[in-house]
Amino acid sequence: MAEFMPLILFAVICIALMFGFPVAFTLAGTSLLFAGIGLLTGTFDPAFLHAMPNRLFGIISNQILVAVPLFVFMGVMLEKSRIAEKLLQNLGLLFGPMRGGLGFSVIIVGMLLAASTGIVGATVVTMGLISLPTMLRNGYSPSLASGTICATGTLGQIIPPSTALIILGDVLSSAYQQAQLKMGIFTPDTVSVADLFVGALVPGLMLVLAYLLYTGGIALFKPEAAPAVRDREPLTPAILIDLLKGLLPPLLLIVAVLGSILSGQATPTEAAGIGALGATILAIIYGQLNLQRLREVMDSSLQVTSMVFLIFIGAALFSLVFRGFGGEELVHEAFTNMPGGVFGAMLIVMLVIFLLGFILDFIEITFVVVPIVAPVLLAMGVDPVWLGIMIAINLQTSFLTPPFGFALFYLRGVAPPDLPTRVIYKGVIPFIVIQVIILVLLAFFPELATWLPDQIYG
Amino acid sequence: MPRVIQLLDQITRVTGQTVRWLSLLMVLASCGVVALRYLFDTPSIALQESVTYLHASLFMLGAAYTWQQGGHVSVDVFYRGWSDQRRQWVNRFGILILVIPTCVFLLWVSWEYVANAWAIHERSQEASGLPYIYLLKSLILALPITILLQAVAELLRTFNHASALKESDRG
Repeated sequence: MAEFMPLILFAVICIALMFGFPVAFTLAGTSLLFAGIGLLTGTFDPAFLHAMPNRLFGIISNQILVAVPLFVFMGVMLEKSRIAEKLLQNLGLLFGPMRGGLGFSVIIVGMLLAASTGIVGATVVTMGLISLPTMLRNGYSPSLASGTICATGTLGQIIPPSTALIILGDVLSSAYQQAQLKMGIFTPDTVSVADLFVGALVPGLMLVLAYLLYTGGIALFKPEAAPAVRDREPLTPAILIDLLKGLLPPLLLIVAVLGSILSGQATPTEAAGIGALGATILAIIYGQLNLQRLREVMDSSLQVTSMVFLIFIGAALFSLVFRGFGGEELVHEAFTNMPGGVFGAMLIVMLVIFLLGFILDFIEITFVVVPIVAPVLLAMGVDPVWLGIMIAINLQTSFLTPPFGFALFYLRGVAPPDLPTRVIYKGVIPFIVIQVIILVLLAFFPELATWLPDQIYG
Repeated sequence: MPRVIQLLDQITRVTGQTVRWLSLLMVLASCGVVALRYLFDTPSIALQESVTYLHASLFMLGAAYTWQQGGHVSVDVFYRGWSDQRRQWVNRFGILILVIPTCVFLLWVSWEYVANAWAIHERSQEASGLPYIYLLKSLILALPITILLQAVAELLRTFNHASALKESDRG
């Protein structure tokens, strides 16, 4: 019985989560209860619990995750100051006359928005509110419209600079250290957030390209599903200038932030700070910033940051208790005895993460599951960047998959009530197929993720 | 009882709405770090550390407010469809067996750790760093304390709401 305690703990937490109490509290509280049982039955060493203050200090003084609130600030500022909305309008004007053009605009704006906010819920909701009505009004098939929005909304996971990748980068870098130390390598290689950002570029852009091709294909072969925008304003030079004015600054901001990180000029934190200030200045220039809106932006930044870090704290307690019951050895043994070696282990991990994606968000999975499985996989010789990108795309697929995918819930929440849920489900299926194709490609050609970082950082 | 709830809610709200300004300060301070480093070539460790302090304070002091505002994620697939009364039970149990024990545990396990930092007035290991590590560590106690206050408010609210329901039943 005692040797299975880690598994029972994990299972009980999954069940407890279903009651709908905040995840962070459920993680921490349930783990603590298990530790209590273990202490009473003498199967748990209290020393593990006493490591908690040190862990907490590690969390509050973490240098990498300082970038999180800054990126959130930047994203919320861009969102609340309606810069994204303006962007979609302008791009719609530019591409609208083309068949499928509105779909292209939605995908491109979604990508930029995803790059700037990096939080699935926020992107899907924003896109659902601003893009869905426009697409439906212009005669787009409701299933294509909702599928496009859900899929581009989840791009926030993978398109850098995403908050999800920052967190994943931090967790993977400590897992990588741990794995190498265990293997007796005392001058370990490191993996950084920037590595993950660069690694995500090619697969992320492949996804965007595949979405665009799919929309283009629909426009070509089923023109009634993606028609050209009717009775639009003629494209005068004045409108063109207005378009550039709306399009260029936010685009430059995102490119500058990303570029400075990727080129190694700035740390993610520095780039995020400048990005947040840049977004604020843009909002002021566009006349969208007042005290009320500033308060809203700060409030969202506070809440998202607290949400992320409280989960981190809950997960820290969970991982101590999990380890205290011998969970690490259990996972290690299971993986090394797995038929199929690394491939088998990787496949199982991907399946488990895919299923967990139905109940847990990116942040929870990164803080709870990745620290358990990553050190073992990395010790088996898996490349950390490749592992990170596989996890990110896998989760993104999970969030799209009916009936539990997060993105679907978010879109359902803001979609007009007369849009049937099954239309949304039908619409995401082609995008899930695209995701799976890219995931399989990446599985067999890890170079898709690792080539670019190798070129840049050597 | 409603008085107590109101008071505790008020404390949490004022704390949160004050602390949220730290996010703006963080943006400014981190830009300051960049400016000093790249424009004036005089990196400031103290300013850099202050970004960490602001960051830590933001979520350690803001977590209770986030809870009050419903900002902590939960798996609400089923919860959403449940009756008010069932939700009250979930919250009551959650607060009593998950939140309160966790906070008490965190206070108990961290007390000495923080007290030690105060005893030596622990400072940054960098010579030009901030001499306030003991204050930073105190946040480890501030988190469970602020959440406990809000937990009491939330717990009382579940009873308050239930009694209101019962009264309305009596019609």
